[in-house]
Amino acid sequence: MADQSIFSKFSEWFEQPFVQNTVVVMGVVGIAAVIWMGSKNEQWRIAFQRFRRDRIGIFAGVIIAIYLLIGALEIIRIPSKEGQSTSALGWIFRSVPQERSYSAPFGKIQLGQDGEYAAALASGDPVKIKAAERYRVVGTHLLGTNALGNDTLVETLRACKTALLLGGVTSVIYIVLGTLLGLAAGYFRRWVDDVITYVYSTLASIPQILLLVSMLLVLGKGILPMAIALGITMWVDLCRLIRGETMRQAERTYVTAARALGQSTWNILIRHLLPNVMHLVLIKFVLGFSGIVLAEAILSYLGVGSPIGTPSWGVMIDGARNEFSREPLVWWNLTAATTALFGLVLSLNLLGDALRRAFDPKRS
Amino acid sequence: MFNGITRALCLLATLLLASCDNDPHPKALVEHGRDGGAPLVRYTYQTEAPRSLDPQEAYDQMSRRVLEPVYDCLLEYHPFKTDPYELMPCMLEAMPGKQAAADGGVTYLCRLKKGIFFHDDPCFPGGKGREVTAADVRYTWQRIADPKTECPVLSSLWEYLVGMKGANEAAQKNGGKFDYAAPFPAFEVVDSHTFKVHLMKPYPQIIYWMAMHFTCPVAREAVEFYDGEKHDGKRRERFKWHPVGTGPFRYVHEKSDHDNNFRLVRNERYITTKFPTEGWEPKRDSACRPLAGKPLPIIDEVQIRILREPTPAWLLTKQGYLDSFGVSTDAYTTVVTATHELTPELIARGVSLEKDVDVSTFYTSINMDDPLLGKNKKLRQALACATDAATQNEIFFNGVREVAQQIIPPGFAGFRKDYRNPMSFDLARAKQLIAEAGYPGGIDPKTGRPLELVLDTSASGSDQRMMTEFEQKCFEKLGIKVSVIENTFAKKIEKEDKGNFQISSLTGWGADYPDPENFFMLFYSKNFPPEGKNISRYNSAEFDKLYEQMATMDPSPERLAIAYKMVDMLNDDCPIILTNHKAFYSLVQPWAPRTHNNMMLEGGIKYLWLDPALREKKRAEWNR
Repeated sequence: MADQSIFSKFSEWFEQPFVQNTVVVMGVVGIAAVIWMGSKNEQWRIAFQRFRRDRIGIFAGVIIAIYLLIGALEIIRIPSKEGQSTSALGWIFRSVPQERSYSAPFGKIQLGQDGEYAAALASGDPVKIKAAERYRVVGTHLLGTNALGNDTLVETLRACKTALLLGGVTSVIYIVLGTLLGLAAGYFRRWVDDVITYVYSTLASIPQILLLVSMLLVLGKGILPMAIALGITMWVDLCRLIRGETMRQAERTYVTAARALGQSTWNILIRHLLPNVMHLVLIKFVLGFSGIVLAEAILSYLGVGSPIGTPSWGVMIDGARNEFSREPLVWWNLTAATTALFGLVLSLNLLGDALRRAFDPKRS
Repeated sequence: MFNGITRALCLLATLLLASCDNDPHPKALVEHGRDGGAPLVRYTYQTEAPRSLDPQEAYDQMSRRVLEPVYDCLLEYHPFKTDPYELMPCMLEAMPGKQAAADGGVTYLCRLKKGIFFHDDPCFPGGKGREVTAADVRYTWQRIADPKTECPVLSSLWEYLVGMKGANEAAQKNGGKFDYAAPFPAFEVVDSHTFKVHLMKPYPQIIYWMAMHFTCPVAREAVEFYDGEKHDGKRRERFKWHPVGTGPFRYVHEKSDHDNNFRLVRNERYITTKFPTEGWEPKRDSACRPLAGKPLPIIDEVQIRILREPTPAWLLTKQGYLDSFGVSTDAYTTVVTATHELTPELIARGVSLEKDVDVSTFYTSINMDDPLLGKNKKLRQALACATDAATQNEIFFNGVREVAQQIIPPGFAGFRKDYRNPMSFDLARAKQLIAEAGYPGGIDPKTGRPLELVLDTSASGSDQRMMTEFEQKCFEKLGIKVSVIENTFAKKIEKEDKGNFQISSLTGWGADYPDPENFFMLFYSKNFPPEGKNISRYNSAEFDKLYEQMATMDPSPERLAIAYKMVDMLNDDCPIILTNHKAFYSLVQPWAPRTHNNMMLEGGIKYLWLDPALREKKRAEWNR
């Protein structure tokens, strides 16, 4: 169509199997690079030694790794018949049957008119009808199916992708913005600091959820617009932290020494100051990730989040609004989505806390 | 001393408790019924507040529900005859007489009943309502043309009424001031109770307009008293919240507030209509027979509440405090079983269930100007055959709605009961059709990749979102790829008006009047947006010819044959994909049996009856 927005063009490009697989590879490479670079930093090495003894932190890390793996499986696309492609997760669950509508966990409930139910209707026996009314064995869906007959467990796992992609893209946007602006504000001071502080104070004074909703109404629905909107609102906190830390570090002798030796400003910022504030970025990244996942759920619940067809925990929770007034109660969609959401957010917070403890200079 | 206070407090508490009971309704305004006994009060509710009670301005169902019992029309729908719908005189003595006029025009001669009075209101001298005359009807029709009124149907009427457009344009030129004294050629007053309506060309559907609230006579005094310059300096509400009508019920302005509750009381001077003596369905015989020929309205007072949330309405119904209840999806499974019957508990209570099929049709529009879909009939047919309307109805509407086989809803001339849409759901056939369309397996042979289509929707709320997803999945079963664009409602309308879409989901049309022409005009090539509502941009010379022919014909077997042919053409050409006709269940309390069943009739409350003694008894039982 003629007025296709830049975002839909982007998402079209993004949907290509090649791009998707590249994203996964880049993600893995990125994580490896952070660990490798961290291993060269004295402070990070000490922190890692401490982190190894933190059992809760390790546990949370393992849980997050599982989420990452599932998300990666959904992002990885493998070619299927006739030029189409399916996600690796979809391929694993390819034999899960599609139902007509709701069915309960362990496959006992389905609304519909066919099979046993129709037979019970024909028999005219009210007891039989009552029994068969919505209780018809239709296979084994561990967590039942949703209104459109899709398996809830598969949908819940697939929604990891949305959460991780959004978290990843948003993090890239706000970490780059926040770190660079924070470094600049803390190191250059004066008018640079004034301008940056003015901008983030202004942003921070607007209620975040209102700002997000209004930006999404302008940008339209989709993962990328959501990432941009979240990125614009989230850099403020990080920027403030980095600015303070940079101010502190810039007064220290190693910076003065570097300046006396004639190092360029760029070198001082990137080679000396950045590694010394990087732990803040790491902690903020992990804690902020849970905030992003929650924000996605909230925005989808408000109807401005994930677009139609995107598996998302927020969309599942939103759908439960009507499901909770049904008889029999359809509880499995809400339960599955909130459990998955809870697991990821809790693990992220625990890991974030563990990292903060590990990097805490007071303990050394 | 203390003792005295305690005693006084005890006494007060006892008094307060004694004055308490469960009844959420205020005391009736009418003291006696027609027979001198207790007044018959009907308690009803609606889910949204009306937007306007001005008959020339209001256009939504919620407004009509409050407005139509207050204002009578020239004609009205027969309360029982819905298959097909039938009109009968209301304020007129008889149905309008049709005469051919010079230069191809038509004239309708109408005679008002004598002795119809406006409701008493301070706008009349001495506060007493005066008799309705032909001059009032003329004023009302002029008011439709007045740009200040912003009547939503003016552009439909000026196509046919002589000089209507001219009068409107003259007022526009005059700075928006309509000259009510100027000649108004559409309308001719013959004597105090007789008038003629002049049409430029034959238009038999004009009689339906005479049964719509837009043409309900209003009093010039009332409009000028509440909206005009004739203020006495005191603050006064606008005319749209101060209806002064001629109908069976009088609006009690002092006791109503237009956000929460409305009070209507019986118009003592009402003589316009009586309960019909025949025509009801056999199953309503016991309820209707005793009322035959009785003066209307039967009940003395109506209390309408606005209950925006579904739960309180259901709870009040369960306690016996509402006289009927439109079954919401929330309450659905506690009221209706999977076999579409009332639950045994409710049957034991004596409650009954009524199903009403609305005069509307929902469908998905295909843009015929689209270079891909517009030129490929087989592709459109494949999409139509892939749409599983029955399952959609089952999942999203509990199977209550009627799967649409034709654009015309039930009860309309041209509706065929046993007709089956040749392009209804059949996946095997759809796959074959898409292969014949040039895309075997949904694959575009030019690119070797799945054919891509764009579906526009306005998804507000999870239900609509899932419905769109359902439709997307239906189409994708053909092997094609369908991407969905979610719009705000206003944006979707804008796109439809501009033709900036490929497929537009969740569109529909609610009938203005029960004639197939009202639906066929949606596909007439001269009705492209923004003037008309042909959002599919269907352009067929043959269809246009048939439309022009049938639009001006009087009902006849030939006209029916044309209507059948037009339905067949639409189903074969698939500019739209039919889904359903809206329908809903209502619970009817044992003390207030349904005595009419007409979806075109919002003012039908005057035909209703109730048994207050039985209501008292049941309420006591249910609230124990």
